[in-house]
Amino acid sequence: MAIAGNLSNEQAIQAYKNAVIARTLDIKIISAQRQGIIGFHVPAQGQEMIQIAIAMMADNDDLIFAYYRDLALYIQRGVPLSLIFDQMLGNSNDLQKGRQMPDHFSFKEFNFSSVQSPVGSHLPLTVGAAYARRYTKKKGIVITTFGDGATSTSDFHAALHMASVFNLPVLFICENNGWAISVPTSKQTKAEIYKKGTAYGIPGKRVDGNDLIASLAGLQEAFDYVRAGKGPYLVEALTYRMGPHSTSDDPKKYRVDEITDGSENDPIRRLENLMLKMGVIDSSFIQSTKASAKEEVDKMLEERMSIPPPESSSIFDDVYEEPSWIQEEERRDSDGSD
Amino acid sequence: MALINMVQSLNKTLEELMGKDERVIVLGEDVGRDGGVFRVTDNLLNKYGDERVIDTPLNELAIVGMAAGMAMYGLKPIAEVQFQDYIFPAFDQIVNNIAKMRYRTGGRFNVPLILRTPYGGGVRGGLYHSQSGESYFVHTAGLTVVTPSNPFDARGLLVSAYKKNDPVIFLEPKRLYRSIKAEVPDDMFEVDIGKAAKLKEGDDLSIITYGSMVPTVMTTVEKNNVNAEVIDLRTLLPMDVDAIVQAAKKTGRVIVVHEAPRTLGVGAEISALIAERAIDSLLAPILRVTGYDIPFPYTHEELYLPGEKRIMSAVNRVLAY
Repeated sequence: MAIAGNLSNEQAIQAYKNAVIARTLDIKIISAQRQGIIGFHVPAQGQEMIQIAIAMMADNDDLIFAYYRDLALYIQRGVPLSLIFDQMLGNSNDLQKGRQMPDHFSFKEFNFSSVQSPVGSHLPLTVGAAYARRYTKKKGIVITTFGDGATSTSDFHAALHMASVFNLPVLFICENNGWAISVPTSKQTKAEIYKKGTAYGIPGKRVDGNDLIASLAGLQEAFDYVRAGKGPYLVEALTYRMGPHSTSDDPKKYRVDEITDGSENDPIRRLENLMLKMGVIDSSFIQSTKASAKEEVDKMLEERMSIPPPESSSIFDDVYEEPSWIQEEERRDSDGSD
Repeated sequence: MALINMVQSLNKTLEELMGKDERVIVLGEDVGRDGGVFRVTDNLLNKYGDERVIDTPLNELAIVGMAAGMAMYGLKPIAEVQFQDYIFPAFDQIVNNIAKMRYRTGGRFNVPLILRTPYGGGVRGGLYHSQSGESYFVHTAGLTVVTPSNPFDARGLLVSAYKKNDPVIFLEPKRLYRSIKAEVPDDMFEVDIGKAAKLKEGDDLSIITYGSMVPTVMTTVEKNNVNAEVIDLRTLLPMDVDAIVQAAKKTGRVIVVHEAPRTLGVGAEISALIAERAIDSLLAPILRVTGYDIPFPYTHEELYLPGEKRIMSAVNRVLAY
């Protein structure tokens, strides 16, 4: 049975489950942040479906340069909750050894690159990564996500330009959630984002990022184009930031004239309604999915919270392959206290 | 052994590194057909083709960012920024991505690239072809910063930079590109990163310098019969602290000479290292002979550059103290 096109019922159900896990996780992290358990969070509520669609379309060999608001992308690609919490907590099991703020993930084994805070600055890296993949004849394309604010950066334009000049397989996907912290897209840009590749010879397409089926259909064309070796492609996925920019942000200051409940834009509710209408799921399935997601997330946080932080002296590691005398001396002089 | 200048030495070394390792990619503005505006990459395109020697569009942030992405995924890019003055659009990539990638990923990614760029004055290049910006990079943990002062070290440091699995900022003193020749072995050899060279023994004072100022210092002390030991740092990050401290302890009188402006220049760090570790040995204040804290002037270029007069004035002050 298919929900639409190539999307089977099973795939839709899996996508729905992962979206619910991502939403539940997001809510849990916010509450953990308020309790002082997790330091910070960039909520991704409202953007789950485009992220899930990207992960569904991507092959394992594809490299993904994600940004800091991509929780559902990691979940759908199979990154375990434990590793996500380890990073959010910065504990000794964190692959990055507690070096980065929450949401700045790097899951190399899942072909994710590394997330940084400066907006858009991962985009030039995608060009080099794509060049390296092609040069070494490795399979897979490079996929990158970023917000609408990033499209104003020099890095965005430089990356599009270079990817096009060298005809590289980079799929640029803007998750346009309407806001760059407090600045609405209308103030960010006069031109439409999906058209911004035109000057560089890059085709663009706008998709409804709140709708799984529309996202998959729109992405198909983009993936086909890039995989065929025709060069880069720019997708603008219209989505909706249901929450604040981050846990340090109070959107009441700038979103006063908006109803921010966002329910009509809620991508999870949309898929839920469609599947209910088509008889793929029923309300008890929804309830049990949400309950089991909550149980799984709650249990996992409880478990990961007990893992101790990394050794304090490890802050001097990995500056270089081998520490120089400077790090060694500073390590020696530090007594592990502040 | 061949008697060659720094451009020839770098070119020969690049050619050989490309020959022995197909992961090496050279990229930058005009590095291909033109062979670089200083010809350091001359003929590489003919020999290795345009997939490995890339004439890039004019965008430093993109060149450097692209090189970083290449390095993260298995290549060994050697990127050129045509003049160090033009590196600033790429500064965010250098400081926030390249220097921090190993650290921020817990050592799971690294960025083994070499970023070559000519720096310094003396070629009548005005404000934007003359700056010495080494301090910007030396201030950034995660980078390694080297600068050769002669054709021999240029080859040895480039080979060492190639062997490193971390990013190296390779500063080339453009004034010395063709002004001096030296015997350079045909075999590949390394000049250890982090090791200074003692160019001259001496008892009365120690002069610590590097890069473009090395020949100026050597000529000055030889011409004026100064009994100074002269140290060429060669690596600016990490500096050879042992060589610096030993010099201070040996003579008790130290002058630092560099072309970059004085304020928070490399000389400030050297002075602090000595103050922390060898203050009891000092017989005179540490003096810095440096470029002025002004933008690099055009007409009066030679006034900006430390020369014999300013170096000798410092020598005499330190000796008379």
